[in-house]
Amino acid sequence: MKDFLASLKEDLALTDRLMLGCALMLSLWGVFCIYSAGGGSSGRGFDYAMRQSAWLLVSVLAMLFIMAFGHRKLLEGAYPLFGLTLLLLLFTALLAPKVKGAQSWLGVGGIRFQPSEFAKIAIILVMSKFLSRYPPLDLKTFAAGLGVIMLPVVLVLLQPDAGSALVYLVISFGMLLAAGTPLKYLGSIVGLGMAAMPVMYFMFLKEYQRNRILVFIDPMRDPLGAGYNVIQSRIAVGSGGLAGKGFMMGTQSKLKFLPEPHTDFIFSVFSEEFGFVGNILLVILFIVLLVRLISAGTRSKDRRSKILVAGVASWLWFQTFESIGMSIGFTPVTGLPLPFLSYGGSSLLATFIALGLVASVYIEGVNSRHVF
Amino acid sequence: MELLDNRLKVVMYSMIISLLFLVGGLYLCQIYQADKYIRLAHNNRLRMIRFAAPRGEIFDRNGVPLAVNTTTFSIMGYPLDLNTPEKLERLSKILMRHGIPMDVEYLEKTIKQQRLAPYRVMKIVPNLTMTQMAELVADYDFPRELFPMSVWRRTYPAGSTAACVLGYVGEISEEELKARAEDGYTGGDLIGKSGIERSYEAELRGSPGQESLEVDARGRKIRTLDANPAVKGEDLYLTLDMGAQKLAVELLKNWKGAIVAMDVHTGEILALASSPVYDNNPLAWGVSGREWNAFMNDPSRPMLNRAIAGVYPPASTFKAFMSIASLEENVITQSTMISCRGGLRMGTHLFKCWKHSGHGSLNVIGALQHSCDVFYYQVGLRTGIERLIKWGRKFHLGEPTGIDLPGESGGNIAGAEWKMRRFGRVWGSGDTVNYSIGQGYMLMTPVQIARVYAAVANGGKMVTPHLNKKGYKTPENIGLNPAKLAIVQKGLESVVSRGTGSRAGRFGVSVAGKTGTAQNSHGDDHALFAGYAPAENPKYVAVAVVEGGKHGSSVAGPMVGELLAHLLSH
Repeated sequence: MKDFLASLKEDLALTDRLMLGCALMLSLWGVFCIYSAGGGSSGRGFDYAMRQSAWLLVSVLAMLFIMAFGHRKLLEGAYPLFGLTLLLLLFTALLAPKVKGAQSWLGVGGIRFQPSEFAKIAIILVMSKFLSRYPPLDLKTFAAGLGVIMLPVVLVLLQPDAGSALVYLVISFGMLLAAGTPLKYLGSIVGLGMAAMPVMYFMFLKEYQRNRILVFIDPMRDPLGAGYNVIQSRIAVGSGGLAGKGFMMGTQSKLKFLPEPHTDFIFSVFSEEFGFVGNILLVILFIVLLVRLISAGTRSKDRRSKILVAGVASWLWFQTFESIGMSIGFTPVTGLPLPFLSYGGSSLLATFIALGLVASVYIEGVNSRHVF
Repeated sequence: MELLDNRLKVVMYSMIISLLFLVGGLYLCQIYQADKYIRLAHNNRLRMIRFAAPRGEIFDRNGVPLAVNTTTFSIMGYPLDLNTPEKLERLSKILMRHGIPMDVEYLEKTIKQQRLAPYRVMKIVPNLTMTQMAELVADYDFPRELFPMSVWRRTYPAGSTAACVLGYVGEISEEELKARAEDGYTGGDLIGKSGIERSYEAELRGSPGQESLEVDARGRKIRTLDANPAVKGEDLYLTLDMGAQKLAVELLKNWKGAIVAMDVHTGEILALASSPVYDNNPLAWGVSGREWNAFMNDPSRPMLNRAIAGVYPPASTFKAFMSIASLEENVITQSTMISCRGGLRMGTHLFKCWKHSGHGSLNVIGALQHSCDVFYYQVGLRTGIERLIKWGRKFHLGEPTGIDLPGESGGNIAGAEWKMRRFGRVWGSGDTVNYSIGQGYMLMTPVQIARVYAAVANGGKMVTPHLNKKGYKTPENIGLNPAKLAIVQKGLESVVSRGTGSRAGRFGVSVAGKTGTAQNSHGDDHALFAGYAPAENPKYVAVAVVEGGKHGSSVAGPMVGELLAHLLSH
């Protein structure tokens, strides 16, 4: 234990403190937003904020543990971990109680968690191991890589959780790209995906999901139904203006025009209260974080680490892009959380575990420099 | 390895560019279009609630309430609070417990019919009394998401007795909304649809109140920002006397027809009845389309106000006018005698007197007393249609009297010009003969007849019949010779004291008047009586028209007599 603490201290001195600083700042800002979105101390805001803070503490501890434990050891156990994840996803799809029409939660001893969030880590681990062992340079290995990723995608679609499936696909795409897959392969799966979209639309999407796409194209087709969220969110963001309405002063969220203000639409709450200036700061924090993630990869000499980092970055980037884009009607509503800011323990914990992996990769990069 | 590092850089730059692209989007939304969204957010929070003003109340001349407002309550709610069968079942149970028979199925239907959006408020239980509402809301199990809203309702305590005068209110129609766009009406407002409610809409309406509220997404009030209270409409006192009105309606109970009673000097209407009657209460509370159609298609036409819009041949009641016109034109004098042998032959056609054996020789007083037709045939021919029309215009025949009720008819004064225009035929002397006894093309409404008789009674002044106590207009003096008018008055007195209208004089007051029997090609003749009392110093005039009443003397005369007696004794 003493050794562990000592090595942790050493790791902290070596790792990318800028990256961790960005993540912490975003998370703390998130706690404030959740407090505001929940209606402050007169509403459920305090309750939400306290719970999120507790989760943040757990998440940071988990990150430190993963960092000290090292990504290498975890990569060694990637296959059993992936198998366990697939089982959990199957289990969730079959047994979990329904929350808003989708079975995505598993309850263990009073704590509910979403296996689909942790599956992202398992996917990143297994794909980085698989893709560096079998570089997707020819059609056979490329197809094998695709086969691996389709397993969790199909299972999560059974829940049905199209949002997570989309994140898995984006993560894999980023990793395939980083693994050096020939561009013609990547181009052709993008083409295939485009061609398959109408089929997906009619075969796999539920009524409410189709509505989300239709109102994305034209929010005014159902301004008080499915398009309501988009319109109200855009009003929230737009009315924030340059400087925002001030902390706790957002009328759109306080008066409950915004649906799910503390989870899906946390960015709208943020933008309404902190305005364009706040948004610029927020985006800068995310960009710095992403740049630091990638640079951890470029410093590393290990193929697996490079691919792993691409997976984590793709994940955080996609959810950020989607969540902000959704709030101003640039992207369809998917219900994906904004990393670090949205209320939700599973999402926060999984994100910090991923950061722990990258922090470990960074330390390895630094160490290797020292060695050579 | 180099390939991988390059790829990582590609990933990084794509991410940065895409996020900067979002910043561009945020710029558009938050800076470029900020004003638009700030306004939208503001309107989101602000809800202008408009509440209707209580309508002015209506009373009779003695302060008896005729149209009053009652508050009822509706239970309102939002679709998203009632979206499961369990919630509906719970609500239904609570309603049933309080004696409101609404089962789950009924509630489902109600909600389905009104559902527009999950955030749009709906009326779930309408028309509750204060007690019902209070009991319901106080129930421990009453769902807190539902809330009561007060609604003004119009009730008419006199119901069918005064419906033809008061009319009724109803929700404003689309056409009315368009026509009155500038008066500040909005959909759902109540508006006078007929009767006094319609003619005094502007006075009765009042001005609606407005409240600007800050609301949440479900439209629930958070606080009031600004409020203008509603101002009640003006109360209206009518000239109607509910005692007389009740009697008039009672008298007509088994008949179709109309009765009008009026002050001869001022034109104040004391009773105005049209039969069959209708109850205006259900109309004001809203009837279904089917009920409404049944109502409108009723062959007895209860919605037709026969007193002002029913047009009838004035028949022999017209003889008073004929006497005045011919005396004024010096065609006859009091001593002019005309002989009646039961008919007047013109070419091949025989115009009969109602008394086939003939009246013998009589002057104008005798002719009125016995209602001799032949006398007036002769007088009509001697006066000529032009002079009759001239005098008709002086008495404003063929024009609405200007009574303050909507939908009044002007009757038809007819004449040569009119016949040419209408039928393309020349006015013949036969037409004049018919005209002289108030048959044929000449048509009048009961209120027009009353106005003419008021002029006979008051010395030649045309009053404006009115129901609003403040509606008096100075009568127009048409300049009748008092001596000549006295002859006609004498004739009318003898009608009741010794002649055809004797049954109108059996109620203890001295009545002067004239009977009439209008030929009706569709069935039994219409009975008419127009009279005033007291004969020596007239105060009130009354007219009764009874469709299919056969003889003016036996049916209409007693009605007028009884009503005049009632008015004079109260």
